[in-house]
Amino acid sequence: MTDTSKQETILGQLRGILEESSSVEPDWDSFCPQSTIESLGLDSLTILDLLYDIEEDIGIHLEAKEVLNVSTVGEIIDMLVAKGA
Amino acid sequence: MPTDSSIPNQRVAVTGMGIVSALGIDEDSVWSQLLEGKSGIDQLQSLDTSKLKVSIGAEVPPGLLEDALKTLGRRSVDRALDMAVVASAQALLQAKLISGDGPFDDKDVSVILGTGTGSAQSYNQAYNILFEKGSHNLRPTTVPRCMYNAISAGISLQFRLTGANYVIVSACTSATNAIGTAFRMIRHGYADRVLCGGADGFFDPFSFGAWNNIGALSRIEDPKKACRPFAEDRQGTVLGEGAGAIVLEAYDKAIDRGAAIRAEILGYGESSDAAHITKPSSKGQAKAMQQALKDACIDPSEIALINAHGTATPGNDSCESESIRRIFGHHADRIPVVANKSYFGHTLGASGALETIASVKMIENRKAPPNLNLENPDPACDLNLVKSEPISIDIGPIMKNSFGFGGGNGVLIINPSKV
Repeated sequence: MTDTSKQETILGQLRGILEESSSVEPDWDSFCPQSTIESLGLDSLTILDLLYDIEEDIGIHLEAKEVLNVSTVGEIIDMLVAKGA
Repeated sequence: MPTDSSIPNQRVAVTGMGIVSALGIDEDSVWSQLLEGKSGIDQLQSLDTSKLKVSIGAEVPPGLLEDALKTLGRRSVDRALDMAVVASAQALLQAKLISGDGPFDDKDVSVILGTGTGSAQSYNQAYNILFEKGSHNLRPTTVPRCMYNAISAGISLQFRLTGANYVIVSACTSATNAIGTAFRMIRHGYADRVLCGGADGFFDPFSFGAWNNIGALSRIEDPKKACRPFAEDRQGTVLGEGAGAIVLEAYDKAIDRGAAIRAEILGYGESSDAAHITKPSSKGQAKAMQQALKDACIDPSEIALINAHGTATPGNDSCESESIRRIFGHHADRIPVVANKSYFGHTLGASGALETIASVKMIENRKAPPNLNLENPDPACDLNLVKSEPISIDIGPIMKNSFGFGGGNGVLIINPSKV
């Protein structure tokens, strides 16, 4: 799988997770790697639920301290790719 | 009522109301169905009842809540919180304390809500994870999702309400206790505006399963006939989900800002039976009614209508009738009595809010809806029960009763708006 298609696959998985667990209703049509964490309604607490769901659905464990400083979805995708997703 | 002249004694107005119920999520359609005698009770759709004794309840029609949440830019979090958010948005909009769908500015409004089962849906989800995956796999947000004050906290966050924020838990009396507490906060000068009411959503396997086994639910299979308040052939109550939100406000300050005043809360009484965990006590109920009348400075003869707790359980309705007779004596021959639970179902900790909203609609329209399924009134319920048609009612205060498991009783006196 190319890096681009891998990233697109993970983006789709993240969208699926967020559609189930986010407490807000973002504009999914514009959901992309540049989407900000803030626009998805995630804060320092609810991002922990995202990590929980990533581990459940994608099988990769990310530490909260790794993720708390990221600002976009693309940065999370990069971390997942780096960990073997 | 405090008599010390240094304690403020402000009038308290109702300036906004919002409702989420099996009869719909706007007060006008709810009111028209009440007058038409249409029950919101039906076969339950949201959970598997195949192994349960009871398969009926009053659910919010599918899609309504989800669409309303989407308008507010929210997704479902927990059933009780979702319903509370939608009802609160309606009430705050009507009171003109917010405009549009957000984002909102900080407002000095308190939020005091009642609930019987709290975040029941979230608890049920957490139990599933606990039993399937173990306690080490519980979601990181299990605590904020499941804490009982998640409902009031969620409302405060959504609408940026910066006054007090807490939940009152007293089973079926919860919302009436919350409204009564809000009333006292404003009357005695601790707050100018309070969003109050209640929410309960418990059509999940744990909560509804538990209620199935306590023996308080009607086993009549026809959903429209199952809830029969004050009828001789009543068998038990029928559960319903819902939320009611009411904006209470210092009367003079509401007038100053040009708010429309829909009604006035005149008094509140509360008591505890201290007798039995589930069996009601006429002595305790009567004490709360007496206190509410005294607090409102009115005589029993002035009451225009009693909106009863009226659960349709064998124990409650005869006990409540005895309590009303204790306080009202021969005036009970004349004062009409209605019960709303055959419409909304018994919404437990939300019931006092839904039924207070219905009471305000009765005051405004000078009409009372019929009591459903009352073909054979129980001789032990010797009251002036409204029959199968709506009636006109006198202009005057309404008494709203709520009683709960645990022995808590709460009674409100709601008056027409008078400048």
